[in-house]
Amino acid sequence: MKTKNFLNIIFILLLVSIISCNQKSERTIVDPDEEVKGVVHAELTDAPLVPPRIPNKSNTKVIVNLEIIEKEMRLADGVDYTFWTFGGSVPGKFIRVRQGDLVEFHLHNHPDNLLPHNIDLHAVTGPGGGAEASLIAPGKSAQFSFRALNQGLYVYHCATAPVGMHIANGMYGLILVEPLEGLPPVDHEFYVMQSEFYTSGNYGDRGHQDFDMQKAFDERPDYVVMNGSVGANTGENAMMVQVGETVRLFLGNGGPNLVSSFHAIGEIFDKVYVEGGTLINHDVQTTLIPAGGSAIVEFKCEVPGTLHLVDHSIFRAFNKGAIAQIKVVGDENHQVFTGLEKEEVYLPEGTAIQKISKKTEPSDAVMIELSHEERMEAGEKLYKQNCLACHMDHGKGIPGTFPPLVNSDFLQARADKGIGIVLEGLQGEITVNGEKYNNIMPAVSLSDDQVASILTYIHNNFDNGGGLVKAADVKAWREQK
Amino acid sequence: MQNFKVILLICSLLTGLNLPAQENMKPIPAGSYKPFIKGLTEKVAVEAFLLDTVQVTNQDFLEFVKANEQWSPDKIKALFADSAYLIHWPKNDWQNESKTANQEPVVNVSWFAANAYCKWKNKRLPSLHEWEFAALALPMNSLDSNELTQINHSWYSRKNSTRQPIGSVYENQYGIWDMFGLVWEWVYDFNSVVSSNDSRNKEEIASGFFCGSASLNASDASDYVSFIRYSYRGSLKGNYTTRKLGFRCAKSIEEN
Repeated sequence: MKTKNFLNIIFILLLVSIISCNQKSERTIVDPDEEVKGVVHAELTDAPLVPPRIPNKSNTKVIVNLEIIEKEMRLADGVDYTFWTFGGSVPGKFIRVRQGDLVEFHLHNHPDNLLPHNIDLHAVTGPGGGAEASLIAPGKSAQFSFRALNQGLYVYHCATAPVGMHIANGMYGLILVEPLEGLPPVDHEFYVMQSEFYTSGNYGDRGHQDFDMQKAFDERPDYVVMNGSVGANTGENAMMVQVGETVRLFLGNGGPNLVSSFHAIGEIFDKVYVEGGTLINHDVQTTLIPAGGSAIVEFKCEVPGTLHLVDHSIFRAFNKGAIAQIKVVGDENHQVFTGLEKEEVYLPEGTAIQKISKKTEPSDAVMIELSHEERMEAGEKLYKQNCLACHMDHGKGIPGTFPPLVNSDFLQARADKGIGIVLEGLQGEITVNGEKYNNIMPAVSLSDDQVASILTYIHNNFDNGGGLVKAADVKAWREQK
Repeated sequence: MQNFKVILLICSLLTGLNLPAQENMKPIPAGSYKPFIKGLTEKVAVEAFLLDTVQVTNQDFLEFVKANEQWSPDKIKALFADSAYLIHWPKNDWQNESKTANQEPVVNVSWFAANAYCKWKNKRLPSLHEWEFAALALPMNSLDSNELTQINHSWYSRKNSTRQPIGSVYENQYGIWDMFGLVWEWVYDFNSVVSSNDSRNKEEIASGFFCGSASLNASDASDYVSFIRYSYRGSLKGNYTTRKLGFRCAKSIEEN
């Protein structure tokens, strides 16, 4: 009996040792005593760019110089914020080293800065990730070195008290510790980092915004953004690739509070390096990126179009700014996606007008009267948010479906300048510039001020005789109803 | 005995005994406060003292440097100040009053230089507890305890590229100007954080301001304004000089 037990134990021990050996063989272990040869200066990049791979063999000394700068920058159109940055932009500079490299880190706190700062790199094995060795007053530099023992994609951030506030103001970035053999080649690599901002005003409130401590405690951000500001990589600044090319995204989440449900609208991730580590998952729609964590995703762009990179906690994407875009250009491939084949009106709910929101402007709200120029500027943005989807950017609508706003006889004939259409919606057959339309436009819930701006824009930009619609006109229309 | 003295002072205040006033200084009455750092569970008593109503200006400091050559930008020893000492003064022309002497708070001065200045004036740097206690006073005519936090937050989140003269932010209820919002200030024991009878060494306290331990050492983890101030002090050494760090002097009240 005893012998049997003994043999059992031996067997289990053997099994355990085999399993652990197998696990080890999947990962590379660095011997920190191995000699370091040669010196290179790390090339650092701002998002969405990623530095090229260091060409030398591994176990190189890599010198990194990173400067902390407190500076005022754009958070959204018309909204400024004083960011605390690693390298002058948010997110901070992308750092790329290889497993086994000795990283000599130089952190500089610009003399014009108000505050002390430091850095905690999650890629560091050592106290505070370097934070204890790098606390520096404005006008000082700190140097420390670390061996990149573990491969992976790591977040770095400022860890000076109060840590949350330093992170909330923009102090984070990514450092890639590439495996010895290098990541497989792809056509494009991009750097995208999500984070939140807590501002004294609400989303979109113009002017300089202060940090709001209470909102940060409550984890109630006004802005959730990709790469440091609303629209940092959308429209003209979108990332560009060709049909047929492969893309690798180095994704980070600076937080400080939220976890990201990262998703690319219109694409499936062929490969995900889960949490930026060595575990690889395939065929993923949405991958979680923890606050202070990362992920690497790879995919091939098969068809042309725009991919929207979003946090699929979707209000963050459409109402707080968490969208970046990749524009894929090239030839259509109808074997993969046909595009729109047929479209017709479908109205199962009957003909009642659907209101987008029941919320209306409180009657005692402060009336804002803007100049013609200000109305046009605000109106353009509001038009894009509320009207463009149907009436199109050019205002010509879609023939037979959505009526044009350009030189519209229907609009010009209305005594209310169109106020009633925006506030109440419109249904049934109408004739615009000689063509018949029979569709439903929902009532749009906007303030008097916003309605005035949108209509001023439509009257002027689309050749409807110009003029200025005042918030007072809209208010009067509401009161008369 | 110490407590007795404090009580006596408070009593004397209540009975209308006036503390001695000095030019450009105002008396801070004795009292006690709960410091930001944990470990001191009891309130810390602060004896009555005199405090400069405004920070030391470039004009004041030029006068000092002219009278004490060893503290001039040309003669200063590296032990007492780093290479950025008075770097905002024109390098070879700092004696020129029209270029140097102004009513902005002097910055880019080390603790050693600040300490020497106060001695020269027959004063001293305020202690950390004295400074913190005096800084607790609300702005003149204000009853809103959030106002100090707001002054600090707007200071942190706006970059003041242009320097402002002394006396330009707010006057507190002791008649002291700009404890917050203009420049940081040296205190005598800037790197002690806790009183000397605490057994923890300075190293431990300093490292207590990073990452997780930061939230463990503070008496109020939501007091971000104090966090910022204490971590700022924690990043300093006696010979450091920076562009946003100045000082003002204090003086003990002599007992007769």
